[in-house]
Amino acid sequence: MSLETESTPEQIQSAASDEVVISLNEVNKWFGEFHVLKDIDLSVYKGERIVICGPSGSGKSTLIRCINRLEEHQRGDILVNGVTLDSNLKNIDAIRRDVGMVFQSFNLFPHLTVLENCTLAPIWVRNMPKREAEEVAMEYLTRVKIPEQAEKYPGQLSGGQQQRVAIARSLCMSPQIMLFDEPTSALDPEMISEVLDVMVELAGTGMTMLCVTHEMGFAKRVADRVIFMDFGEIVEQNTPEEFFENPKSDRTKLFLSQILAH
Amino acid sequence: MSDAPTTSDGLRVFKPKPSLPPPPATTGVIGWMRFNLFDGIGSSITTVIGLLLLGFLAISFYEWAFVRGVWEAASRQECRLSPTEFGTCWAGVEFWFTRFIYGRYPDAEIWRLDLMAIVFIAWMAPLWAPKVTAKVMVGLSAILVFPFMAGYFFLGGDRNWFMAIMVAVSMTWFAGTMIHVAACLLTGKGLGHWIITLSGFSSRDDRTHKYPLLMAAVVAFGIVYFVIQSWQLPIVGTNHWGGLFLTLVISGIGIASALPAGIVLALGRRSEMPVIRVMCVTFIELFRSVPLITILFMATTMFPLFLPEGVVFNKLASAIVAVCLFSAAYMAETVRGGLQAIPKGQYEAAEAMGLGYWQSMGLIIMPQALKLMIPNIVGSFIGLFKDTTLVSIIGLFDLLGMISAISQDPQWIGLHHEPLFTAALIYFIGCLAMSKYSQHLERKLGAGDRR
Repeated sequence: MSLETESTPEQIQSAASDEVVISLNEVNKWFGEFHVLKDIDLSVYKGERIVICGPSGSGKSTLIRCINRLEEHQRGDILVNGVTLDSNLKNIDAIRRDVGMVFQSFNLFPHLTVLENCTLAPIWVRNMPKREAEEVAMEYLTRVKIPEQAEKYPGQLSGGQQQRVAIARSLCMSPQIMLFDEPTSALDPEMISEVLDVMVELAGTGMTMLCVTHEMGFAKRVADRVIFMDFGEIVEQNTPEEFFENPKSDRTKLFLSQILAH
Repeated sequence: MSDAPTTSDGLRVFKPKPSLPPPPATTGVIGWMRFNLFDGIGSSITTVIGLLLLGFLAISFYEWAFVRGVWEAASRQECRLSPTEFGTCWAGVEFWFTRFIYGRYPDAEIWRLDLMAIVFIAWMAPLWAPKVTAKVMVGLSAILVFPFMAGYFFLGGDRNWFMAIMVAVSMTWFAGTMIHVAACLLTGKGLGHWIITLSGFSSRDDRTHKYPLLMAAVVAFGIVYFVIQSWQLPIVGTNHWGGLFLTLVISGIGIASALPAGIVLALGRRSEMPVIRVMCVTFIELFRSVPLITILFMATTMFPLFLPEGVVFNKLASAIVAVCLFSAAYMAETVRGGLQAIPKGQYEAAEAMGLGYWQSMGLIIMPQALKLMIPNIVGSFIGLFKDTTLVSIIGLFDLLGMISAISQDPQWIGLHHEPLFTAALIYFIGCLAMSKYSQHLERKLGAGDRR
């Protein structure tokens, strides 16, 4: 998948500080016998925007799913906002409250309206009064440019609109970190840009973002750092300019030549 | 192509073609008949034969039920000697009809059953009125609180302290519900709103609003409790219960308990805690692999053997427990099927937002799963409603039991066909109503699924 590299608009100003919000230390994970993540070390700074790419099965989705404990790692430490992720349910809940996630398949709740999708977690997890939650939700729905769809059900929206609702739904919990798991892979080509626009705008607000994506145009424009993974390892990480112009490993070069070939 | 409109920079303007109606003769009644009934020689012959068969059955039935029907007679003998000969003896059904419905319940006390039927309908009906608020509360109380009042009206006699409290609670709740419904229909605001407004709490913090509500509830309960304290109904033992009334009691309790128990069992079966999982699997498999009739026999004949001497367990109670356990086991598997149909992404999205297990189950998974399960759940309910006829084998006189009792009445001895037809009709109406309502519910709840 590619975007015309020529027309890339100006780079978004980096908001990264030197405060570490996520740190992964020698993280290992297995699915049964299959070793998915191998000795992952990674520090994410507050406000930093990271794009993770790599071939399918390289462990990139599993990596970000470990950060909010949708997957359990078997060895190593993960610290999010200074809280260690272990089997302690309180820690897991605390981390999930601060970490928003957007999925490839949107995962909106089909039995609730768009507005209800957005207010559910603030009301039940943050104990926010309904009226206030609705105001917050409408604010974010306006930011993703679909306030007029608030009373519809997800099934009545297009894929791009659904994904924007999913982003708004996560933002309603006012997270400090946003995880994106291939947010545009399930979309029709004409809808990809409307979702990317929202993500670019979000990047402009200084949100800490980890995006698994193959949208290289997005990576060039927004990312502070691009991480390339294969076989459960971080093969290479660098600034987007260096990463695309001057890859350090042969595997990265091959990958880039394949995805930028068309 | 050359005269097609172009834009200023020479591009052809794309304009979609308009949508046209489908060709005639493929739609409408004629089109439907041509395609479905008379599509070729074979199909036409089948249609004609089918129609003839249907007509023959209809005529035969008409002759049996109406032409030969005898509506006024004092005994079966009189029916047989009627002018049409071997008349169809509806007179017997008529004579016994009250018994079909109420069993051997004393005539003087039948008003109690009628009253409870009216109360139940009045309690449930607001659920279908769009203006009424707090419907969950109304519906839940009808299922959880109403049974205490109904139980006392059915049985009568002394009330121990627990029943005394619960009957009063139940009556207070019913009165409150009725006032609430009236308030909603007349003023558009519920009872809670009026209590808060009239007590002057509406200007205060939202958190203090529960105090006047609580006060009102306690005062109302106190009044009801003391008013009905010395009031008592004559006792009517469960051995007098019977007919459609008994069928509804057993299947009603079975239906009301099957769904919650089934949900708990299904969640237990999917639990990650091995002890809970093994217990639930054992329970489900045990009760599903034994016929209901065996469970009924065991409950009424074997179970008392394990009880200490002198403790007598009511036959009806043990039958109800047996039916509940059996239907819970079946319902558990229905619910599990529904849970498995929910995509993994829904669980993940709920988890990722920080919802706990019970929150994600109650708010996300169950509402979707239950909607998918409606046809199966109603199927189980219909099955349960019909399966209660088995209790006639352990000596309870449910609707079917009363139907066979008529044939032993000396006056109507040997009268089988007509009462059985009546029972079939009653069951058919009950089941059809449930089935139709479930279809309606599916359509109504399917609103979010339109894609």
